[in-house]
Formats: sequence, C-alpha cells, structure tokens
Amino acid sequence: MDHRARVYNDVFEMLPSVENPSPLVRINRLCPSPEFTLYAKLEWMNPFGSVKDRAAWAMLCDLESRGELSDGRGLVEPTSGNTGISLAAMASARGHALRAVVPSGIPQEKKVLLKILGAELDVVSDELCPSPGMGDGSINLAKTHAKAQPKRFVMPNQYENELNVRAHLETTGPELWRQTEGQITHLFLSLGTCGTVTGAGRFLREKRPDIKIIAVQPSEGHDVPGLRNVQQLDSCELFDRSLIDEIIEIDYELAYARVLDLCREEGLLAGPSCGLIYEGARRVIENERRGFGVMIFPDSVFKYVSSLVKHIPELAVDGPA
Amino acid sequence: MSEYAHPEVLVDTDWVKKNLGKPGIRLVEIDVDTKGYDAGHIPGAVGFNWETELQDQVNRDIISKENFEQLLSGAGISPDDTVVLYGDNNNWFAAYGFWLFKMYGHQDVRLMDGGRIKWLNEDDKELTIDKPAPTPSTYKVTSTDMDLRAHIPLVMEASKSSSFNLVDVRSPDEYTGKIIAPPGMNETAQRGGHIPSAKSIPWSLAVKEDATFKSADALAKLYFEQKGVDKNKDSIAYCRIGERSSHTWFVMKYLLGMPNVKNYDGSWTEYGNLVGAPIEKQA
Repeated sequence: MDHRARVYNDVFEMLPSVENPSPLVRINRLCPSPEFTLYAKLEWMNPFGSVKDRAAWAMLCDLESRGELSDGRGLVEPTSGNTGISLAAMASARGHALRAVVPSGIPQEKKVLLKILGAELDVVSDELCPSPGMGDGSINLAKTHAKAQPKRFVMPNQYENELNVRAHLETTGPELWRQTEGQITHLFLSLGTCGTVTGAGRFLREKRPDIKIIAVQPSEGHDVPGLRNVQQLDSCELFDRSLIDEIIEIDYELAYARVLDLCREEGLLAGPSCGLIYEGARRVIENERRGFGVMIFPDSVFKYVSSLVKHIPELAVDGPA
Repeated sequence: MSEYAHPEVLVDTDWVKKNLGKPGIRLVEIDVDTKGYDAGHIPGAVGFNWETELQDQVNRDIISKENFEQLLSGAGISPDDTVVLYGDNNNWFAAYGFWLFKMYGHQDVRLMDGGRIKWLNEDDKELTIDKPAPTPSTYKVTSTDMDLRAHIPLVMEASKSSSFNLVDVRSPDEYTGKIIAPPGMNETAQRGGHIPSAKSIPWSLAVKEDATFKSADALAKLYFEQKGVDKNKDSIAYCRIGERSSHTWFVMKYLLGMPNVKNYDGSWTEYGNLVGAPIEKQA
C-alpha cells in the first residue's frame, strides 16, 4: 500500500499505524498560551470514524486468527456506540454477523448507524459507559448471549480485553511519539474502557517518564456516551491509576459548549468528548502556560447532532421538513 | 455468626445446579428487563413477565387468584412443588414474585441468592435459550395471606403513628425528592419526596458486591443498630412500584425474622400522586 498516494486495495489498509497515523492538527485560536503548543489528534479520520477502530481491529483479527469466527459464528459486544460501529463495519465487510448491546441513552444516530452497518441491536437500560461487574446491563446481556449460544456468538469484550490496551501500545503511543518528534510533555484524554490511556500512556511514560497524563472526565449524571465519571473508574478492568497524573472533573454541559467553540473557532468538527477534553486542557494550560500537549479527540460531531440540540436548544431548526 | 431467621427460603447457585431437573423442583425467572430470559436462562426455568403476567391488565393490582392459578397451571407447577425464583437486578422482581407466591399460599418458595448475574458469571453454570414445554397442571390456591400487603389507609396510619417501622428503600435522591424516579423509568409521580416519618434504607445496602445478601449479623447491624429499625414493631416497606420494596420485605421478614412485615406495592407511584397526601421533601 502507498500511504502517500492514498490508494488502497481495501478499507482496512487505511487503518491507523505508525506509517499511517491519524492526523495531528494544531490548535491556534483556542490555545490560551502562546508558549504552549497544543495539538488535537483527530481519531475521527480513521476509516470507521473513531478511536475505536484501533481496538476493534485488534480484537477482530485476534478472533479470526484463533479460528473463533469459523462455521458462521458471529460476534456479540456491549458498546456505547463507537466500538460497535467499527466492529459492525469491519465484521460485515469480512462476512461476520454482529449483535451489539447498547445503553438506551446513546444518541439515536449511533443506534441507526449500527443498523445501517448490518448489526442486530439490543437496547438496554444502562449507564452510558457500561461497567463491568455484577450489575445488569449491556455487558451482562452480551455475556448472556455468548454463554447461552456459544456456537452463535463470541464476545470480544472491549472492557476486559487486553488487546484494547495493546492496540494503543502498538499504534497510538508510537504515532504520538513520532508525530511530536519526542517533544510531547502533556497528554490529554478521557477515560471510558481505559484502553487508550493504558496503552498509549504506558508507551509514552516509558519514553518520557516525566510526561503529564491528564484525564478529563464528565461530572456525575453526564450525557457523554462512552465516558465514565470519576466514581465509576474503579470498576474498569483496564484502568491503571498509576499512569495518570491528574483527573479533572468537568461539568458535562461544558462539553457541549466547547464543541461549538472547536467547530466555529478552529474548524474542527469535534464531538462532545473532544469538547470535554479541550476544556480540561484549557484549564491546565491557563495554569502551566508552557508545554507541548496533545489531546486525543475520539470522534466527530456528526453522531451527536441530536445530543447537541438537546443540550443547546437554540440549535434546533424550525421550518418545513 | 448467627444464621438467617428462615434459612430455608434461600438457596445458592450450587444448590440449584445440583438440583437441576429433579422432580418437584421448579425454576422460575422473573426479570425487570423482560428481554433477559429470552437471551438465556437456567436450563429448565420458565420465565414470568412481571408486566403482563404478574399484574392485572385492567386494574392497577396484583393478578387475581384465578389468574395466579392459571399462570402456575400453565407452567406445570403444583402446590407441593419447591419453586425457586431468580431474576435480574439482584432479584428485585423475583422477590416480588416470592411475595405474590406467599400471598397466594404457596408453601415452599425460595430465592436463588445472587440472582441471574451470579449464575451468569460462574464458569461452571450453563445457560440456554431453549424454553421448557411443561405439562400443564391444575393449580388450586387453598389459602391466602393478604396480610403481607399494605394498602394506603394503613400506610397513612403508619406514617402518623410511632408504632410502625416505615421503610423507604429507594435511592437517596428519590427519598429526598431530588428526583421522582430513576432515569428512564416510565412509572412516575406528580410529586417527589417521601412519606412522613419513613426511614431511608436503600435496598442496595442489604446486598454484597457479588449480588448475594449480606450476612444475618451484617443485616441486623444495618437495620437495627445503624438505621434504628425496631425489631419488635410492625413494618411496612415501600419503593416506587413495589419491586425493590419486595426485596427489603424479604430481608426483614425472612432473613431478619421480624414479626409482621408488609409490602406497600402501591408505593411512590400511588402515594406521590395522591391529592392532599402529606409529603416530606428536603429543601
């Protein structure tokens, strides 16, 4: 494949890697200190639209290579949307079925996208980022399908699968190091399954022990799919607290306000988790003034149009349909 | 360490596994999310739908004696069977089923401690999507015990009197009136808050992380010492629609052995809609 010409034999060749990293774009108008270089890593530029392409591909390839998807066996996965969308697209294109179990509160756009991509859907009452453990909800309903019908379903289980970490250890981390030429001093991200922070964080901490890894989380009762509030983090199997220097909790409504700033001031079509991360980064930069930071922007605003209208009512459009 | 007051009403998942398929032992799954049973259940278990099978479909009420007989006959259950109930959400609706079975006089009914989640997460336990096809029985209710149920006049009396334990088992935010119902719930009320004089003892305090009930000693300490429940008084438990309060009713009556415990199944969706009913709400 030739990443310079960007001509590919199939969509999977477009998946991110050190040779084909997702883009870093500098934040100009919204960076509060001229001595701080701030970049956003645009994960929505991955072929299936989010940071989850990385973990989904690693888990799918692993299942295929171990023969777990032979004889018509498909996948079942609990997801707040992005992993399901990546997996659904990949699985469909490779001839596997996917049953996605999603929390009812995720945006309608994500539910419909999953169906467009051929997934069968279970919608359950659950947290926006399902928690592993003894509670009911998406994870345990997916486990029920896999246990009751083992010939029909295998469950990758992004919430507990170490490949979710390894994908970022082998791609996101090295990409960031190379793209910043080793200058990175701050990494800003949000925690959901914790695959990104544990994988990329482990790689970067090894390269640069004094790097500051800062997690930005929404306040309790939030409406930002895929993310956990601070109280929920301990239920996360892939969470490694020792990698994180600081956890900043932000009023989740600000995530939506910052989406508008990023769209209108920087031309970045960022989703609500990006808005949240940007607000956290902005506060740190206001205080520290100097540094070289990267924000991991997980996905774009397109899947959250209905959420934006809900939180910023003046965006509603009147007039004939 | 002391034992539960009525240990015979609780079985563990290993007991259920050992007794799968034995004559006279019948498994019934009752879930909050009625999709659960169809996705996978314990082999041989029948599924009851709390919305369509345990509630009268016209009046707001439990099913009638005749409908209960019809339901159990269709499931092939006989009055002398041991019925083991289990379900999702820490057995909320399984406990509601237990309460219903007891009101209609079924002698030997038990709960599987930990519910479907515990079974699901144990590697040696199987699930299936195959539904059993039981041979119908002719179930007859021969006695009832409607004293297990509280209606609004008694609840009003309990609220004003100091001779009852009135226990609100909902979440702290529902108790204080910050929210009227948990997010996403259809059944709600006109007002938030709690019944005057009710103590807040959320149902979840009675269970451990693995979804099983806390020990008898831990429960006694919680209810009697920490929350000030008087073990000799009559008690009424309530929640929003009567299922979480069934869970606490089970704890107070069978695990702690309190003498006269009632479930107020009208709960907040009745009380919080009543015109003129006094409400306490945190400012």
